[in-house]
Amino acid sequence: MSTTYDAVIIGGGHNGLVSAAYLARAGMKTLVLEQRHVLGGAAVTEEVFPGFKFSVCSYVVSLLRPEIIRELDLPRHGLEILPLDGTFTPMHSGDYLWRVNDHGKTVREIRRHSKLDAEAYEEFGQAMVQMCRFVKPILSMTPPDPTSLDPRGLMKLLFLGRRFQALSGQDKYNQVQLMTMSAIDFLDQWFETDVLKATMSASGIIGTFLGVRSPGTAYVLLHHYMGEIDGAFRSWGFARGGTGAISNAIGDAAREAGVEIRTKAPIAKILVKDGRAKGVVLQNGDEIQADVVSSSVDPNLTFLKMIDAGSLPDEFLEEVRRYKFRGSSGKVNMALDALPDFKCLPGPGAHLRGAISISPSVEHMERAYDDAKYGQFSRRPYIDIVIPSLTDPSVAPPGKHVMSCFVQYAPYKLKEGPQDWDRQREAFGDTVVDSIAQFAPNLKSIIRHRQVVTPLDLEREFGLSEGNIFQGELSLEQLFFLRPVPGWAQYRTPVKNLYMCGSATHPGGGIMGANGRIAAMEILKDWAKGAI
Amino acid sequence: MATARDVVIIGGGHNGLVTAFYLARAGRKPLVLERRPVAGGAAITDEFHPGFKCSTLAHTGGPLRADVARDMQLETRGLQILRPETRVFAPSPEGRALVLYGDVARTAQGIATFSKKDAAKYTEFHQSLRRIASVLGDLESMAPPSVDHPSAGDLWSLLKTGRRFRALGKKDMFRLLRWGPMAVADLVAEWFETELLRGTIAGRGIFGTFLGPWSAGTSAVLLQRAAADGGEAAGDVSFVRGGMGALTQAMAAAARAAGAEIRTGADVARISVKDGAAKGVVLTTGEEIASQAVISNADPRRTLLGLVDPLHLEPDFLIKMQHYRCVGYTAKVNLALSGLPAFTALKGPGGDGAAALSGRIHIGPEIDYLERAYDDAKYGDFSKAPYMDITIPSIADPSLAPQGKHVMSIVAQFAPYKLKKGDWATRREELGDTVVKALAAYAPDLPGRVLQGQVITPKDLEETYGLTGGQIYHGELALDQLFTMRPLLGWARYATPIRSLFLCGSGTHPGVGVTGASGANAAREILKTLR
Repeated sequence: MSTTYDAVIIGGGHNGLVSAAYLARAGMKTLVLEQRHVLGGAAVTEEVFPGFKFSVCSYVVSLLRPEIIRELDLPRHGLEILPLDGTFTPMHSGDYLWRVNDHGKTVREIRRHSKLDAEAYEEFGQAMVQMCRFVKPILSMTPPDPTSLDPRGLMKLLFLGRRFQALSGQDKYNQVQLMTMSAIDFLDQWFETDVLKATMSASGIIGTFLGVRSPGTAYVLLHHYMGEIDGAFRSWGFARGGTGAISNAIGDAAREAGVEIRTKAPIAKILVKDGRAKGVVLQNGDEIQADVVSSSVDPNLTFLKMIDAGSLPDEFLEEVRRYKFRGSSGKVNMALDALPDFKCLPGPGAHLRGAISISPSVEHMERAYDDAKYGQFSRRPYIDIVIPSLTDPSVAPPGKHVMSCFVQYAPYKLKEGPQDWDRQREAFGDTVVDSIAQFAPNLKSIIRHRQVVTPLDLEREFGLSEGNIFQGELSLEQLFFLRPVPGWAQYRTPVKNLYMCGSATHPGGGIMGANGRIAAMEILKDWAKGAI
Repeated sequence: MATARDVVIIGGGHNGLVTAFYLARAGRKPLVLERRPVAGGAAITDEFHPGFKCSTLAHTGGPLRADVARDMQLETRGLQILRPETRVFAPSPEGRALVLYGDVARTAQGIATFSKKDAAKYTEFHQSLRRIASVLGDLESMAPPSVDHPSAGDLWSLLKTGRRFRALGKKDMFRLLRWGPMAVADLVAEWFETELLRGTIAGRGIFGTFLGPWSAGTSAVLLQRAAADGGEAAGDVSFVRGGMGALTQAMAAAARAAGAEIRTGADVARISVKDGAAKGVVLTTGEEIASQAVISNADPRRTLLGLVDPLHLEPDFLIKMQHYRCVGYTAKVNLALSGLPAFTALKGPGGDGAAALSGRIHIGPEIDYLERAYDDAKYGDFSKAPYMDITIPSIADPSLAPQGKHVMSIVAQFAPYKLKKGDWATRREELGDTVVKALAAYAPDLPGRVLQGQVITPKDLEETYGLTGGQIYHGELALDQLFTMRPLLGWARYATPIRSLFLCGSGTHPGVGVTGASGANAAREILKTLR
């Protein structure tokens, strides 16, 4: 078996696989190396308990770029997205807020809470869609370097400037606000219903170490409206067979294109000689030569663990060390004997098929953040719950269910230090169960198994530094031409022929695949130029 | 009967006076209308206790822009700026203290006793901040460019700034881009390991705002301040001999000398508008004053939602203005003291009390301390342990207090305009006590030295001084309300949707502090329009 390749991709997550597929389609002999026994990185399905399959980490899909689905023909490789309809938010008052994809229905529901908000909601949706149209192209573009005079970069800045100019006054105003405001300040302008603002603002803080009142969180609200499946705006869904099925579909597409994939192949070092990447060394000692090395793991692992400090400029290392991860979320997966029964809307029903959001009030969200700021997990966390088995029976035994709870805040850096997560794991799990049981008292009696995934586990198991699910915080100063570090947002690195293609690059985290695709395009550019 | 005037300026605050001066100098005949018995707005001196004078609200200059001071020849009108070498004295609960001086080397020595690493870093930080601030300084002295139709002039000045930006070099360029949206807590953590130093620098990022150090964008506030005061990491301290009132009195004199008229006790009830243009004002006495143009030094909300009949504004504009965040979280406590308080940190050998306390005193020893102060306000109460920016101006200027006695001026955060429990009428004293008690943790003998106290709540700031919502800067200093967005995107050039009605106050770019920049920029833009 040959051990020299045109390109080696470090990490078999969705971005690594997408990148590999595009490289292979362009004729590069490509190898993907995954440390774990399964493909997918944080987009995996695992049978954690006999008969119960969980999307252990990432659990919904919305941002997967349509051009990737198309170009890699993913449906043919088994990708099937099932709709996730709506968000159900139980309230302490015994009432609830239930928004669904059917706009009319949602507006009627909101009218129950506030007539004004019902009207505002219409406008709000339209405004958001406008904003998405503006932001979308940015998701598939290589960020320019604003400090260089490179004409291509300047053209891009000009292009963005022009697009902004072309917006109507109102859209300009909204756009600027979205980029700079806090989710709550922004929503306060539109709505008066507390629970509506609370549950909407939640999408602004997912995966960040920010509170709903922290400027910069408004922007992320957009992503909720950017969710796009088969061209349909703002639709979210599950992959049949769990999130891992997405990775597997991409994996198949890659293999078909000629990519070779090895699992259980953890990397020890990236080979660097006279400032050029030459390949990698596996932990088992195998040496693999390659003209291009592209890393889909985060900068901390890539530059501080896999490369000798000697081969990187100090200033660059300084920036990498400065790059913020600060994982703030955990996951609790439960195998259930029956469905949770919510006091405010008893019995089974469609409300359980969508997302169930434990975000009863703005103050709830805010206090959850306060706990984290001072180094403890939220005593009453924000929880985003889905029960995929209702939509996709294949993931649980007949009559049984799997329930996936995304929990924030769970700060990686506890007051007592990250290692203390091993001691606090079950306490954290109990807090989550109690918080949900407040609204669905039967929960405690129907739990058959429980898996608690702490930020520390995300780091150890999935190679996500400090347990950040997006490979680095999505805060304004770590986006676009500043992601991952200033001056290196073009997927290249100070080491020639070494590239980045993971979520730590623009446009950031979430199952988008855009990072991997754009990175591949950049690599192929250099490849064509013979620069490699 | 209506008396015809050339230009009417509503409000005799420092910006109103600066605008009046420049207009008069250009041959216009501005009439400044001040509702209070004395001009000066928030830059005034009061004798709040027999023999004790104090800058009632703002207690240090922004500082005043040098070109404005020069143009108005304020020195010749008796203005004396006092710049103590001690910039900041920051005590810690453990009885240690950090002292920042104008002299960076000396400051570094002091920091070295906490951390050698930080001492070196401080110098680098100071220099980088200076370079960046000088570029931003350009932006502060220009009218924000029009977003829709940038004029040749706009592009030129932007180009010039762009050139200076490029001249910074890649490292500082990226610093500027990165720092802008950052949380100041992150910024200081990147540079320093000493918590006390972190807290001290971070204070400048949250002063006067409703943001905690963990809120994104607070670094932008720090940068904006640095741009105004020359980029000293420690921040500038400029007292005015005789208190801030002496500054505005000198300004008033300058404006008058140039040909402006100033009427105090003249409270404007509304701005009369005809065919979409401002035609003058009506006073609460019913007196009508017709004028060719009306310029408001009052905040944007008060001006456009309070003094103008909504009929004359597009609903869409009204909604945006209603969304303009202008709620204050700052209170002021002024104390007459029988003598200098003895700070625990200054006990022991070498502690020259007076000198150390002659600048600003920063109470906010940790990032968490500042953040918790903010947390309290988030839920509608004032901080149990407030962040305090304190001065004892009588050290540098003995004329403010009787021999051997002192005045202490305390800006306390956070004190929400709207309290969840009770109201300010009933809780005013409680706030005063909280402040004194919090301070006593650092200077135990303080309570015993208080002869008289004056507590100014956000409500007072609104009712007595006309600051809407008690917001001392005429509008929250958040990323979405700065530069081309101050007060609103599309209306950042001192004009309003009503022809010949202009803004010149702190609610316009650049705002922040007693610098006179807003007033000077406004005058320049308005003179272009008036002819």
